[in-house]
Amino acid sequence: MKVEINGKMLNANEGETILELAKRNDINIPSLCHKKGFDGLGRCRMCLVEIKEGHRTKLVSSCVYPVKDELKVQTHTDEIIKIRKDIVMLMYLKSPKNKYVQKLAEEYEIMIPEKYVQKISDDCILCGLCVEACRELGTSAISMVNRGTGKKVSTPYDDESKDCIGCGSCAEVCPTNAITMTENENTRTIWNRTFELVSCEICGKNYTTLETLKYSENLLGQKIECICDECKKKITAATFKESFKNIY
Amino acid sequence: MTEVIALETKTEMSIQNTKKILEKYPKDKRYTLAILQDIQRNYDYIPKEAIWEVSNYIESPLSEVYTIATFYKALSLKPKGKYVIKVCNGTACHIRGSDKVLDAIKSSLNIQPGETSEDGLFSIEIVNCVGACALAPVMVINDKYYGNMTKDKVHQVLDEIRRSQNE
Repeated sequence: MKVEINGKMLNANEGETILELAKRNDINIPSLCHKKGFDGLGRCRMCLVEIKEGHRTKLVSSCVYPVKDELKVQTHTDEIIKIRKDIVMLMYLKSPKNKYVQKLAEEYEIMIPEKYVQKISDDCILCGLCVEACRELGTSAISMVNRGTGKKVSTPYDDESKDCIGCGSCAEVCPTNAITMTENENTRTIWNRTFELVSCEICGKNYTTLETLKYSENLLGQKIECICDECKKKITAATFKESFKNIY
Repeated sequence: MTEVIALETKTEMSIQNTKKILEKYPKDKRYTLAILQDIQRNYDYIPKEAIWEVSNYIESPLSEVYTIATFYKALSLKPKGKYVIKVCNGTACHIRGSDKVLDAIKSSLNIQPGETSEDGLFSIEIVNCVGACALAPVMVINDKYYGNMTKDKVHQVLDEIRRSQNE
């Protein structure tokens, strides 16, 4: 399948989205709510591109738009850049104190008179990646709550959730670091619930929660050794080294 | 506290058990909204326990049911009063001073829109048009329309309802 992006002919695979194709070919399309391993959410609209099918042109979100044969795509027209600037401006109005948003605003040269900047800065830009991560894991402890200006991500009734396993995936994927996860000596607190931490059998570092471990064991149907990612890597590397020893 | 009072007032209307409502629907995610609407009709709000029951019944995560319950304005998580006062804030009513009507109701009942008074009698809602613009500003109490509202008229109507309750 042939697809043209910014005048360059590219080979596309069936079922791929425009964003995936562009990323594969090192064409930069900005995106906020897209992360490798997730389906496109089409929420932030930063990945907007102009497509030409036959004689018609239209604007679509490249993270959810599947490629078609002989599709012509423009990623940086004046119109699109203006729309992206507007998106960043609106985001900056809502989250003026967030470092990630500040960086974006700088990149897009957003200037807003002081009087329009909100006094209360909300870190969350409602991209929904955390909700998606939680759902993909099969826990679905958090979701979008309310709507309109009151929309937010939370657990039901803002209570501590029974479904939450404290894995921290939501905080991990969050682009703006809006989810607070605090760790004390042996506990981790996230979404109003405190979890007991499990330490690695080898290095002794706390690396996950008891609930996460139990959840994974349940899914796998077998017991898991308490070894952190770093130590696991070391063990794999050591086995490799051992097996290559005899070759040279 | 308010939950208890509302439940007590609703017992007069004989509440159906949530389970009875659930049994009417197939166990499928796409019936979530229909089930929630049914519960809203029966209880006049969606109790916490009911969301649990729904989530268990259709085997959908609690958070997803909660998302739907908080998204739609027709669904309420807080118990509604026996008399739901809808104050119209459509264009015509807005221009003709619906804010003054609302202020009068708020100060008389001592609650904000979306809340229920402590005695479980009244709750206030702001709606966008009730289709009676000629009568602006309008308020609707349990499907009864009150047109050309003024501050004094609000107090009159509310006092009347309170008196009828005491009798």
